[in-house]
Amino acid sequence: MTMRRILITAAVAALGTALAACGSSGSGGTASSGGSASAAATSCTYAGVQKELYTKGVLTVATDKPAYPPWFEDNNPANGKGYESAVAYAVAKQLGFKNSQVKWAYEPFNDSYAPGPKKFDFDINEISVSAARAQAVTFSDSYYDVQQALVALQGTPIVTKHTPADLKTYVFGDQVGTTSLAFINSAIQPTQTPKVYETLNDVKQALQTHQIAALVTDTPTAQYISSSEIPHSTMVGQFPSSGEHYGLLFAKGNPLVTCVNKALATLKSNGTLAALQKKYLQIYLTVPNLKP
Amino acid sequence: MTGPPQTSFGAQRRGPRLLSSGRGAVAVSTASTIVVLAVLAALFWLAPGSAAVRHTFFNPQDMWHSFIGDPKAGYYSVGAALWLNIRMFLAAEVLILVLALVIAIVRQSVSPVMFPLRIVSTIYVDVFRGVPLILVIFAIGFGVPALNLGFVSTQSAAVYGVAALVLSYSAYVSEVYRAGLNSVHQSQVAAGRSLGLSQWTSLRYVILPQAVRNIIPPLLNDFISLQKDTALVGILGAIEANKAAEIYSDTVFNYSSYVVAAILFLLLTIPLARFTDHLIARDRRRRLAGAPA
Repeated sequence: MTMRRILITAAVAALGTALAACGSSGSGGTASSGGSASAAATSCTYAGVQKELYTKGVLTVATDKPAYPPWFEDNNPANGKGYESAVAYAVAKQLGFKNSQVKWAYEPFNDSYAPGPKKFDFDINEISVSAARAQAVTFSDSYYDVQQALVALQGTPIVTKHTPADLKTYVFGDQVGTTSLAFINSAIQPTQTPKVYETLNDVKQALQTHQIAALVTDTPTAQYISSSEIPHSTMVGQFPSSGEHYGLLFAKGNPLVTCVNKALATLKSNGTLAALQKKYLQIYLTVPNLKP
Repeated sequence: MTGPPQTSFGAQRRGPRLLSSGRGAVAVSTASTIVVLAVLAALFWLAPGSAAVRHTFFNPQDMWHSFIGDPKAGYYSVGAALWLNIRMFLAAEVLILVLALVIAIVRQSVSPVMFPLRIVSTIYVDVFRGVPLILVIFAIGFGVPALNLGFVSTQSAAVYGVAALVLSYSAYVSEVYRAGLNSVHQSQVAAGRSLGLSQWTSLRYVILPQAVRNIIPPLLNDFISLQKDTALVGILGAIEANKAAEIYSDTVFNYSSYVVAAILFLLLTIPLARFTDHLIARDRRRRLAGAPA
């Protein structure tokens, strides 16, 4: 009995101490984060942004694995090839970083918006900006304006029959977390529930085995899949723009976004972004337009 | 209540042994429970990231939205998606009970004619118990359609998912059956045969009823696990509860939908868990009372 009472008292005391420690570290954390937020008005130079970096001296950029073409090439973000890799290095250059001062981190899409500290400065992973998402994270301005497109196997009905009424009759597939699903359900409104896969590779496999009639994804990805990845597939066409665009993802309230937006604005006005899009995304002018 | 405690393990009717008897002890245990719960709650509420965690995981508005769904906004109802889990579970459970029994009986057979089948079923159990379920689902769900076998290759993701669940779980459940068959004493077979019953008839009317009664708790345990594992079929593109929750959280960047899915799965599994407890208790009472099964 006495032994037990001592144990209980000890346990309560230990928990109480833990609580007190927790409370004090909490107030410390708030104070320091307030300090860094007020330092936002620094100049956008290599020296100026140091305080806002995840790791001092290097710009830590994150993306998912596998990193898909044409956004990345050879599943290697650090080679500077592919549109998003090139944009990341161009932004880094604007901020005064050398290529060797850019480090790549692996961040699965599902984890990128988790609360708490991030292990990167920004994430570049074909992430569409939306108002709901912006409540959880901070987005940069657009680095690419997106349109949705359809890929199907040659000779399947959807290649020739895709009036708005026809489109409703097919089974569509897309990758989880993409805005394509909202697009399918709001614009196409199919009668059968679309299939949603974990990775783009799964969607491609489903298309090849006729599990879905067509896959929905952004035009550059669709272009790449139909031209280089799935034999006997074809890009049926792309849908009109719905104002959707890709943005770089930052931890909520990360002050670095101000300087990155300035860098993006410069890259836009001096034609760098357009040139990179031409180089990597191969947006042919002959992409047929579809009506949802 | 008046008789001496029965000797069988766990059958003694005594108060919980965690505490010494007496009102003082009850007061201490109550107080310490309250203190521990309060400290845990305080840790959760006062942690530096508490507001962010509460907003991201337990936001009532997001929980409600994910529960009812809005396809045009890009996400489906987690509640409605659970219906697919329930259907897959029910279909898989019936098939598993049959297939696993067949495998168990084959493995228990002694006839030399059955030897090749015994080998096959032993390999089957070894393979499907050893391969992670998610890989089996993947192999069936993407492999069978790729075979291009007409009817077989044009089924829905849910059908392939159920097939994979049945393949994997039958291996486990056949071992549960086998344990049940082994738990019936050899003399029961001898008694059945001496009454003039054939080998199969004595298996059907003498052995199996006793074996199954012994294994109902572990069987239900496997089925509770099966209920949760229907969530893995989501990797085939079928929109079940977990997938619907993932779609919601990826669409609006809020994980509250996963909490909704977790609550729904709990609502499914807890009744089955209590039912299992009830069966165990009833079985123990009957045995100790010496009542016929």
